[in-house]
Amino acid sequence: MLEVRDLVCGYGHLVAVHGVSFSVKAGEALAILGANGAGKTSTLMALAGHVDIKGGSITFGDEDVTRATPMDRCGRGIAITPEGRRLFSDLTVRENLMVGGYLRSMARAKINLEKVLDLFPRLKERLHNRAGSLSGGEQQMVSIGRAMMAEPKLMMIDEVSLGLMPKNVDICYEALDKLRSTGLTLILVEQSLERVLSIADQVCVLDSGAVAWTGSAGEARGNPEILDAYMGGAH
Amino acid sequence: MLYIELALQGLVNGSMYAIVAVGLTLIYGLLRVLHVAHAGLFTLGAYITVLLTNATGSLVAGTLISMLVVGIVGMVVYRLLYEPLLAQPPYVALIASIGLFIAMEEGYRIIFGPYGNSFASTWLTERVTLGPFSMAAADVAMLLGAIVLLIFLAVLMGRTRLGMAWRATVTDPAMARSFGVDTIKVRYGIFFVASVFAAVAGSLVAVLNNLVEPTMGDVPSYKSLAIIVLGGLGNVTGTLLASLLLGVIEAYGTIYTGAYLDRDAIAFVFLIAVLMIRPQGLFGAR
Ligand SMILES: Nc1ncnc2c1ncn2[C@@H]1O[C@H](COP(=O)(O)OP(=O)(O)OP(=O)(O)O)[C@@H](O)[C@H]1O
Ligand SMILES: [Mg+2]
Repeated sequence: MLEVRDLVCGYGHLVAVHGVSFSVKAGEALAILGANGAGKTSTLMALAGHVDIKGGSITFGDEDVTRATPMDRCGRGIAITPEGRRLFSDLTVRENLMVGGYLRSMARAKINLEKVLDLFPRLKERLHNRAGSLSGGEQQMVSIGRAMMAEPKLMMIDEVSLGLMPKNVDICYEALDKLRSTGLTLILVEQSLERVLSIADQVCVLDSGAVAWTGSAGEARGNPEILDAYMGGAH
Repeated sequence: MLYIELALQGLVNGSMYAIVAVGLTLIYGLLRVLHVAHAGLFTLGAYITVLLTNATGSLVAGTLISMLVVGIVGMVVYRLLYEPLLAQPPYVALIASIGLFIAMEEGYRIIFGPYGNSFASTWLTERVTLGPFSMAAADVAMLLGAIVLLIFLAVLMGRTRLGMAWRATVTDPAMARSFGVDTIKVRYGIFFVASVFAAVAGSLVAVLNNLVEPTMGDVPSYKSLAIIVLGGLGNVTGTLLASLLLGVIEAYGTIYTGAYLDRDAIAFVFLIAVLMIRPQGLFGAR
């Protein structure tokens, strides 16, 4: 479904990712792991169209989306739950979700809104609150919900558990598990290993902007020393 | 009775400030640019309305065409003036904007002459009496015009998905794009709406004074800058409240301080007083 080949990207003159390749099959979950500054967020944001791509190619479905605009990628079915959540903080929760479904008809957006609320019942009471006034956990739920509203084929989630209370981490991972069981393809960026290895099929470890190791989640679980070497003792 | 009439007069002026300043604040929120040339579009709107009304005999037709033309000119200003400068520090766009404003005023002087134009018909000087109150028909038009526009804006921004997308773009343009919002169109849309509002304000002032002149944008230009600072830059509700408040304060001020303080100076005395106490403006956050 997604094929990334020799991706080089960065910010101005700074190159953050030097030739990363990986692929994700439809319905699979890929975990991208790595220490601070390894280039995980840069890779994800390049896939979303927000980082200058200096080389390599991204193929989604059968189409080359290397140069596609973020809007175009959204229309093709790539949605992002970015690092730091980046909600539209002055908008209400409901408005955030509706913007997520901007490319869908009003009727579809309303159906999808119900799906989001089924997945995160806590948001029901919060619908008319400013997104910026929510707790970190609730904001993460809105961010996942906003991406769901776009009806993506591929959802990319950057550090879903960062800064959340364990209970909220559970809620978010359960939601991602449910989404995965509906056939949604996932890319999960994480620094903490246990949760993500329980949900991922494949693992790609980045180190200093390059792929250091790839394999199945089973192999990764069986060889913790491989991950330890690259994770900077983060877990 | 005088107090109430003063308040009404203040609200009339305040509504005019509001429909000019709200456009400025929208544009500031989106691009972080102080669009000084906005007042040049205000004047353009006034000229087009007067000339077309005199040519066609219909104020409504004149105003509608003026709104459309000025809205389009506003988009052209964005495209030709601001878009190429967005990567530069904000003062570059500010200087360009001031330059355009001066050029527009000189242009009006050359094209329409320095002495100003007036409406040919005179219904505007009629008065409307409602119980004990009596207002000029033009004042009533100003109040109603402002109410209609502001309700339109509130519905557009608060109740439609387009408005939500606009506000989302103001908070985080990159994320808005990631969910399919065409943020370039949003910019054109906001410049269009803001400029249409300026055209209406200019037309209403033309009606109010039965006069348009090349420099009629001067006072609205600096006063609306003061207002958006008072309102907390980029804050639409704050801008509306600051406009009405300033209108009313000016109306009372002319009675009590008129002997030693010009009406147009009151805005700045008020601005300085507020900024000394609340540097973020009356309604600004933080
Ligand atoms: N907006 C930016 N401008 C310039 N350099 C950046 C920017 N964002 C990231 N970088 C740099 O790119 C490199 C990769 O950063 P990136 O955020 O992709 O890493 P990461 O793996 O997501 O790290 P973390 O685990 O801390 O989130 C780092 O050297 C970082 O300093
Ligand atoms: Mg990161």
